[in-house]
Amino acid sequence: MIAAEQKSPEQVDSPDYSPAELEQRRATSRRLAWVLGVTALGIYLAGFLYYRP
Amino acid sequence: MSTAPSIDHGTSHGHHVEPYQGGVLRWLTTTNHKDIGTMYMTFALIMFFVGGAMILAVRAELFQPGLQLMQPEFFNQLIGVHALVMIFAALMPAATGFANWQIPLMIGAPDMALPRINNWGFWLLPPAALLLTLPFILALFGIGDGAVNTGWTLYAPLSVQGGMGVDFAIFSIHILGVSSILGSINIIVTIFNLRAPGMTMMKLPLFAWGWLITAFLLIATIPVLAGAVTMLLTDRHFGTQFFNAAGGGDPILFQHLFWFFGHPEVYILLLPIWGLIPHVVSTFSRKPIYGYKAQVYSFIAIGVLSVIVWAHHFFTAGLPVPALLYFMYSTMFISLPLAVLFFCWVATMWRGAMSFETPMLFAQGFIVLFGMAGLTGLVLADVAADAQYHHSYFVVAHFHYALFAGGIMGVMTGVYYWLPKWTGHMFSETLGKWHFWLTVVSFNLTFMPQFFLGLAGMPRRIPDYALQFVEFNAISTVGAFILGFSQLIFAYNVWKCVKGGTKATDKVWEGTEGLEWNLSSPPPHHSWEVQPVIK
Amino acid sequence: MKILRRFCLWAGISFLGLLLAVVPSLARADYSWNFPRPVTPIARDTLEIHNHFMIVITVLFLVVFGIMVYSMLKHRKSVGHQPARFTGPTGTVQWLWALVPFAILLFIDYILMGIPAYHAVLDMEDTRTKADMVLKVTGMQWKWQYEYPESGIKYLSTTSTPRDQITNKEAKGEHYLLEVDNPVVLPVGKKVRVLLTSTDVIHTWWVPQFGVKRDAIPGFLRETWLKIEEPGIYRGQCAELCGKDHGFMPVVVHAVPENEYLAWVDQKKTQLAAAAVGSDKTWSKDELLAAGKDIYAKQCAACHQPEGQGLAPVFPALAGSKIVTGPLLSAEGKLLKDSHVDRVLNGKEGTAMQAFKNTLTDAELAAVITFERNSFGNKKGDLIQPAQIKSLR
Repeated sequence: MIAAEQKSPEQVDSPDYSPAELEQRRATSRRLAWVLGVTALGIYLAGFLYYRP
Repeated sequence: MSTAPSIDHGTSHGHHVEPYQGGVLRWLTTTNHKDIGTMYMTFALIMFFVGGAMILAVRAELFQPGLQLMQPEFFNQLIGVHALVMIFAALMPAATGFANWQIPLMIGAPDMALPRINNWGFWLLPPAALLLTLPFILALFGIGDGAVNTGWTLYAPLSVQGGMGVDFAIFSIHILGVSSILGSINIIVTIFNLRAPGMTMMKLPLFAWGWLITAFLLIATIPVLAGAVTMLLTDRHFGTQFFNAAGGGDPILFQHLFWFFGHPEVYILLLPIWGLIPHVVSTFSRKPIYGYKAQVYSFIAIGVLSVIVWAHHFFTAGLPVPALLYFMYSTMFISLPLAVLFFCWVATMWRGAMSFETPMLFAQGFIVLFGMAGLTGLVLADVAADAQYHHSYFVVAHFHYALFAGGIMGVMTGVYYWLPKWTGHMFSETLGKWHFWLTVVSFNLTFMPQFFLGLAGMPRRIPDYALQFVEFNAISTVGAFILGFSQLIFAYNVWKCVKGGTKATDKVWEGTEGLEWNLSSPPPHHSWEVQPVIK
Repeated sequence: MKILRRFCLWAGISFLGLLLAVVPSLARADYSWNFPRPVTPIARDTLEIHNHFMIVITVLFLVVFGIMVYSMLKHRKSVGHQPARFTGPTGTVQWLWALVPFAILLFIDYILMGIPAYHAVLDMEDTRTKADMVLKVTGMQWKWQYEYPESGIKYLSTTSTPRDQITNKEAKGEHYLLEVDNPVVLPVGKKVRVLLTSTDVIHTWWVPQFGVKRDAIPGFLRETWLKIEEPGIYRGQCAELCGKDHGFMPVVVHAVPENEYLAWVDQKKTQLAAAAVGSDKTWSKDELLAAGKDIYAKQCAACHQPEGQGLAPVFPALAGSKIVTGPLLSAEGKLLKDSHVDRVLNGKEGTAMQAFKNTLTDAELAAVITFERNSFGNKKGDLIQPAQIKSLR
């Protein structure tokens, strides 16, 4: 678990993210957000499409 | 016993960046997770007192048999709105406030993944709260007959019959639901995408794991609630017959839909708490968290199980025998992963070096009292015995042990634990201890008698009662008033701490572990602008 | 301080011991601490299950809490205990410590409690085997209607606690809120199959001493059963929020030896027949008004208020109401839609105004309609005969 294994964070060696990587991250975030939102909406709408046999 | 001053020096990074506008506009437009977290917590605290005031009025009426203070119609409104406020406007926003403040700090992210959605998620709440409580005020002017009076469960056909208060509640629930979904999407995306390099999922702090499961549960079940109340709206105004037998529908359909959401909802309320308790217990035991993996798997198991046990909320509605047996046994099964959690909490304490500052007091109180909730829940799962417990005060006592001792006290644990980090000041330990002891004693005084009231045969949601219920009701009311007023100590302590106090170090408490304790107290407005690397 | 610590430990142990000694007495069915005395096989079964379960969870609680308290006393910084670093079980013994409680819980859940629970459920749901008679219970806002289909009896059971007791103007009687005008009467020792339904919203019929609670759902028929083993008077309440008088619709059951039950059935039949006879004779205005006043107080005043002033906006006022002071019948003597008679007989869809033609006799309907048209300042002067109501059904 994090408390046992983690040392204090190293700042010195970590480079900033490149613009390309940042854009990649933003794109992934956006896509996942849409997937989750559409899923929620889909569950809501599915209720109106189902009829008792 | 006191918080030993930290010997590490925190590494506070980045110069302090001021928010670019001040005043009201800052709070309206902020996309900063700390600001938004603060707004969620403030909103939750205010609504906690609103909901509390409502139920004190109810308990005042129940102090003695007979109708003294209000008519049954108003009583029915108070109990329902109390529940909706406490669940949707106090507990859930408080948990979301924790998520906003803590998740980016804990995973080394500069902010939540979707900052603007974060802002919208919060600002949907005040209008929703207004919609819920507005009918009370309108009724004072003779418009409509008050707020929703069906209890928070909105069962049809009573809710189809009800006045405009039901419509207000339906719209409010829709808005609250959207807010929760937006928040959940944000949390999932943040946890999946913005973890600092080196933080694998199995190094994710337990609080984040708790919220991850919660967020998935919300996305799966809030739409079902929204569907159910939409169907209720159309039954009320647009001639549909979903819940009307005469039209080919079934009132029990509403119960199935509502509780399909309703049962996961109680775990939605509790999972964030179960996520933060191990952090607190570990800190004040000065010992690493026991059974991290076991707890993660338990969260997942409870999350999955929570979606398949809903009908235990209506065992007396006339379900077929196979359904009764299935729901009974599946409900009982949840006791197993829950037992794992309890085991791990106690094992974390075991052979530690404990001290009992206020956060630890609340954490211990939580473990004991929530344990009672869980055990009485096991008993409720028994279908045959449930015939006596269902819709009686036994259930009321059970869920208050779960949601007050579990939910609210869990929130207070987290607030006391993290408030010094957020504000940079220590709160008054003396006031904290007074708050704790008054709360625990008066809480038990309020709700323990209610178990016995239920066993003796007192139903729920009645404004007046027979004479054999007099003594325990009186005790319960006394306890409730002490409990309610004790919370003012908490509000005062928090407010005082925000304003000032002994300077808090980065580590705040002696035994803290985790990324957020490497930031200053308070952290800079923009933290982790350069992400740390986790080894 | 060593002495203090030892004292605390001993105090804790004695307290636990005291609790354990008290638990068995809690398990006995003493009224205020446990279920009321059971008088049916289901209630006895339920009480036993409940007591076993209570003992089990109390033991679980004390064991876990005991371990916690011990740890809080011994493993604290202020007594100098050094913290360990373990994060999981290592070695066989520790794995056993972790897994055995789990196994015990599984055993408790599915064997110790799970097996009796299974039998109890099957028993509770077996409404048809060897049933001796049927009682049909209909929930209504805010009263119960009881029907004995095999005997042809049907009547309403309304709370009989005086309003003045509720509003604290009078001292409360012994059975405050648990008394009715027409209780259920059932024979002792016979299996009664109870059918339940409702005319409006969901109600729940509950008598704690019977261990029976079942929802009454509009448009559906639910069932449960009971076999009362001892004569006596048993009281319960509605157990599902059903509107403003949810707390004021009690259930009262008189359980009597079979011969007394049969005698009561005959007596009730005669009584109801006498009331129904009224629909063939011609009533005077005074007779209608007197009877109507009584019925109004019992059936209508809860919503429309004692002086007919109503409770705006949900319950309309009858005083000066357009409907009440409107025409009685059409020119041909037929039912006028949305008229006073229509409302009382057929209710109003989507509101709490129910169709009283299902629950009141012709005479009662004629009386209350006449009363309303001639009271609260209404001076229609007309009246309606039970025979006319009968023809409108």
